[in-house]
Amino acid sequence: MSGTALPPFRNEPVLELRRATERAKLAVGLGELRLPLCVPVWIGRERREGDELVSTDPGRPERVVAVAASATAEEAAAAVAAARAAFRAWAATPVHERAAALVRAAAWMRERRASLAALAVRECAKPWPEADADVCEAIDFLEFYARAAIELQGGDGPRLLQVPGERNELRYAPRGVCAVIAPWNFPLAIPTGMTAAALATGNTAVLKPAEQAPGCGLRVVEALRAGGVPADAIALLPGAGEAGAALASHRDVATIAFTGSGAVGLELLRSAADVQPGARQLTRVVAEMGGKNCIIVDSDADLDEAIPAIVESAFHYAGQKCSAAARVLVHESLHDALVERLAGAVAGLQVGPADDFGTDVPPVVEREAQQRVRCYADLAARTGEISTGMGDIPADGWYVAPLVASGLPPDSPLLREEIFGPLLTVEPVRDVDEACDRVDALPVALTGGLFSRNPRTVAHVVARSPVGNLYVNRPTTGAMVGRQPFGGNRLSGTGTKAGGPDYLLHFVEPRVVTENTVRHGLVM
Amino acid sequence: MGEGPATLEAEIQRVGRALHGAFPSHRGHPLKTLDDRAMDLAAQDDELRAALFRFVDVVPACRSLDDLATHLTGFLDEVGERPPSLRAAMRMGDTKPGRAALGAAGAAGVRHMAHRFIVGEDPKAALRTLRKLWRDDIAASVDLLGEATVTAAEADRYAARCAEALTTLAAAYERFGEHPLLEHDAVGPLPRANLSVKVSALTPLLRPEAPERGQRDAAPRLRALLRQARQLGAHLHIDMESLDSREAVLELVLDLLAEPEFAAGPSAGVVLQAYLRDSQETLDTILEWARRTPRAQPLVVRLVKGAYWDHEVVEARQHGWSVPVFERKADCDANFEALTARLLEARPLVRVAIASHNLRSVAHAIARNEMLGASPADVEFQVLRGLGDDLGHALAASGLRVRAYCPVGDLVAGMAYLVRRLLENTANDSFLADQAHGVPLEQLLAAPAASRTP
Repeated sequence: MSGTALPPFRNEPVLELRRATERAKLAVGLGELRLPLCVPVWIGRERREGDELVSTDPGRPERVVAVAASATAEEAAAAVAAARAAFRAWAATPVHERAAALVRAAAWMRERRASLAALAVRECAKPWPEADADVCEAIDFLEFYARAAIELQGGDGPRLLQVPGERNELRYAPRGVCAVIAPWNFPLAIPTGMTAAALATGNTAVLKPAEQAPGCGLRVVEALRAGGVPADAIALLPGAGEAGAALASHRDVATIAFTGSGAVGLELLRSAADVQPGARQLTRVVAEMGGKNCIIVDSDADLDEAIPAIVESAFHYAGQKCSAAARVLVHESLHDALVERLAGAVAGLQVGPADDFGTDVPPVVEREAQQRVRCYADLAARTGEISTGMGDIPADGWYVAPLVASGLPPDSPLLREEIFGPLLTVEPVRDVDEACDRVDALPVALTGGLFSRNPRTVAHVVARSPVGNLYVNRPTTGAMVGRQPFGGNRLSGTGTKAGGPDYLLHFVEPRVVTENTVRHGLVM
Repeated sequence: MGEGPATLEAEIQRVGRALHGAFPSHRGHPLKTLDDRAMDLAAQDDELRAALFRFVDVVPACRSLDDLATHLTGFLDEVGERPPSLRAAMRMGDTKPGRAALGAAGAAGVRHMAHRFIVGEDPKAALRTLRKLWRDDIAASVDLLGEATVTAAEADRYAARCAEALTTLAAAYERFGEHPLLEHDAVGPLPRANLSVKVSALTPLLRPEAPERGQRDAAPRLRALLRQARQLGAHLHIDMESLDSREAVLELVLDLLAEPEFAAGPSAGVVLQAYLRDSQETLDTILEWARRTPRAQPLVVRLVKGAYWDHEVVEARQHGWSVPVFERKADCDANFEALTARLLEARPLVRVAIASHNLRSVAHAIARNEMLGASPADVEFQVLRGLGDDLGHALAASGLRVRAYCPVGDLVAGMAYLVRRLLENTANDSFLADQAHGVPLEQLLAAPAASRTP
C-alpha cells in the first residue's frame, strides 16, 4: 500500500454555463490560447518537429491550430520499440503509483480546463458546452481508470475455490505495448480514456491522435507525462494513415485500442488477426466503430419532451458523435405532427462558429465531410421530403445546414449508411414491434432511444433492443463515465464499455497460479 | 428596538389566527375537497404518488380507454404495496370490458381534478369564473396553458392567443362592477384585466448558455403584447420558470420596459423566486433597475416560493453543481420573509404581490405591511385557483386585496401544469399537506427556524 486511498469517483462537474460568470471563464481561456501549437513526433525524450501535418479551424480554415510532424512507419516502429523497452519497469511499478500518476494528470487538466476546452473549440469546432464536457470526460477517464486499476490489480484478485493443500490465485497482468488510435470527435476524452486504460493497468502506450486533432493529442500526452508517466511509457505519433497502419501491423503491439470508422476498424481487426512471423502474442483489438442510431417514438410519447431531445441527439456537434441519432421511427399516429414540429425546430437552429455560445450546429470537421454530407442531403432532396435550417450559413468554413428528411424509400442508403453529419430521417411505423424489427435489421448496434410513457412498452423494447446503449425518454448522447459505460454491439464494436467496470479487463491478461502447499503429507 | 421583532411576531400570530378563523367553514381543506382519496394516498406513499402523476401526465396522449387502462395498470404494477382499491383496479385490467371501465373512471378522475385548477378551455369560457371571483372580491390573472414552444409558428400562435386574451379580458372586465379595493393603491389605479405570460412560450430559442438568443427572438412578440396591454389598459405579468431561463427572462423584461415607449405604461410585472439562494441579489438587480427607470406605473414584483424545486435539485445533482435552491423548507420560508420585508420597504419604487399559500408567510406580510403604516390596498396577495381558494376567500373577507392565478387551456396543455401543482402540494414539506393532515395552528404559524440568516 502506498499513500492514502483515493476518495470515491465522482464525475468532474461541467461548467454551469447558464451563469454569465462561468461563460466568461471560457472566453478567457480562448483569449489565452496561443496558436498554432507545434506538435512533434515525441518518443521518449526525443522530439522531432515538422510541418507535414496541419490542423485548422473547421469554422475558419485559414486559421492554423496546430503544425505537426507526421510520423513515418519507421518512427512508429521506433515508438513501439521504446514502449516495449519501457514496459517491464512500468508494469512493475505498483498499481497505486501508476494510479497516482493518472490522478495527477487529471489535476493537470483540471487546472487548464478553459484552455483545453478552447483548443477543442478551435481544432475540432466543438461548441463550448461540448468542448467543456470533453475536458471533463478526459478527467473522468483518468480518475475512473486509476481507481478501477487499483480494484483490479491492487488486492488479492477474485476469490477462487480453495481446497486443502493448494493455494489458487488469479491475477491480471498487463499485456505489453498498446497502440491507441484515436478519433477527432472527442479529441481529448477518447484518446485520454484509451491511453489511461492501457497505462493504468501497466501497459505502455503509443498514441496516434486523429490527423484532424494533433494539438489535442499533444495535450493528452503532456498531461500524462506531467502527471508522472515515464516519457518512455507514452509516445505521441501525430500522423495520418501511414503511422496507424504501421502500428496496427507491428508484431510487438499487444493491444490496439481504436475508436473511429467501421472501415478502418475492420481493417485493424483483419490486420491484427494476421499473426506476424516471430510474433509472441496475439494482438487484441478493442474497437469502437460506427452506428446508425435510431430513436423510437411510441404513440404515448410526449412530443414536448421528445422533440428537443431528438434535436439535441441529432444536431448537437453537427451530428458528429458516435452516439448521435440518425433515424426516428415514430408511431404513425404521431408521424405528421412530429415531422412538422421537428421541421420547425430545425428551422430555428443557428449554424455558426463553435466559439459562439449561441451556436446550435457548428461546422463539420473538414471539407471532405462537408461534401459527403451534402451528397446525402442532395439524395434526400431527390428522394424524399426535406426541411432544413432557415438561418444564414457562414460562407467560410465547413458548414452544412441541418436537415430532416421523411418519406424516403425503404431501401434508401440514407436509412442504412452512417452519415456522421446533421441529417436526420423520420419513418412512420405501425407499432413498436415494427420499429424494433427495423432496428434489428441493422448490422450495427451502438445507441438507441425510446420515447414512451408505458412501463410495459419500455420493458418490451429493452428486451428486444440489440444496442450497446439504450436511452429511454432522454437524448441518446452524453454518456457519462461510470454512469453510462459506453460502446456498441454487432458491427459497431467489440462490445467493450468505455468508462465501465469491466473495461480494463481488455487491457490485461489473466494469470492463475496454483501452488502445492503439501510437503511430505504436511500442509504448509 | 428590542421589542420591534417581538411586536412583529405577536402581530403575525394575531393576524394568522384571525386569517385562519376567516377560512370558509362550509368546506373542508382544499386537498380534501379534491375528493380523490388518491391524492391523500399519494401524499403518503412515494411510489403511489409517482404512479398517479405518471398517469395524470399521460392521459391526454392515450388513444383509447383500453390504452388508458393499460397505462394505469402498468404504473400501478410498479407500486410495491397496493391498497385494496388499487388491487381491484389491477384486476379490472385483466379483461377488455374491465379496462374500458377502468380507463373511463381514470380519465374522468383526471378531468375532474383538472377542472379544479383550470378555469376553462379559453378566456371566453373562463369569463363566468372570473366574474364570480370579481363578485367575491377577488381579481384574477389569466395564464394561457399550452404545449411547449419548439417552433417559431408555435411561438406566434401563443402570442396570438395572448393578444386575443388581452382583448377578451379587457372588454369583459370593463363590464364588471366597481370595486375600489381591487382597483386602487397608494400609487394610483390598478388595471382590472391581467394576463400572465411565459417567455418560454414566446420563443423556441431559450438557450441557458446563450440567453441573448431567446431574448432577441422573444422581444418582438413581447413588445407587441406590451403595446397592446398599454392600449387596453391591461396588466401584463411575465412569469418566471426554471433557473435555466432566469437570466434571459429577467433581462429581456427589464430591457423592454426601459424602452421609452413603455415609460407611461403598461403596468407590468416580474416574478421573484424565494427558493433561489441568490434571490436577494436578483432583488438588488430589480430595485437598481427600478431606481434608474422611472415608470408611471411601478413594476409589480410577485414574490413566490418557486415551482421548480424538484427540477432544480435534480438538475444540479446530475451535473455536480451546487444546488441553487434552499434545501430546507425553513430556510426558504425565512428568505421569503426577508424578501417580503425588503419589497414592502421598497414601495413605491415597486408594487408588491405576495403569492403564497403558506399561512405564516402571508400573515407575516400582512403584519409587516400594517407595521409600516401602509394600507391593505398597498399590497396584493395572490393564490392559485384550485389550491388557494379558501385562503383567497379568507383574505378577501379580511378586507385584503386578492388576485387568483387562473390557468386557462385544454386538457392536453393542462397536464404539465397540473402535475407540477400536485407535485408541489403533495410534497412532504408542503404547507397545504401539513394543513390537510391536521398539523396544529401554532406549528403552522411558527417562525421559520432558518439554519442561518439567508
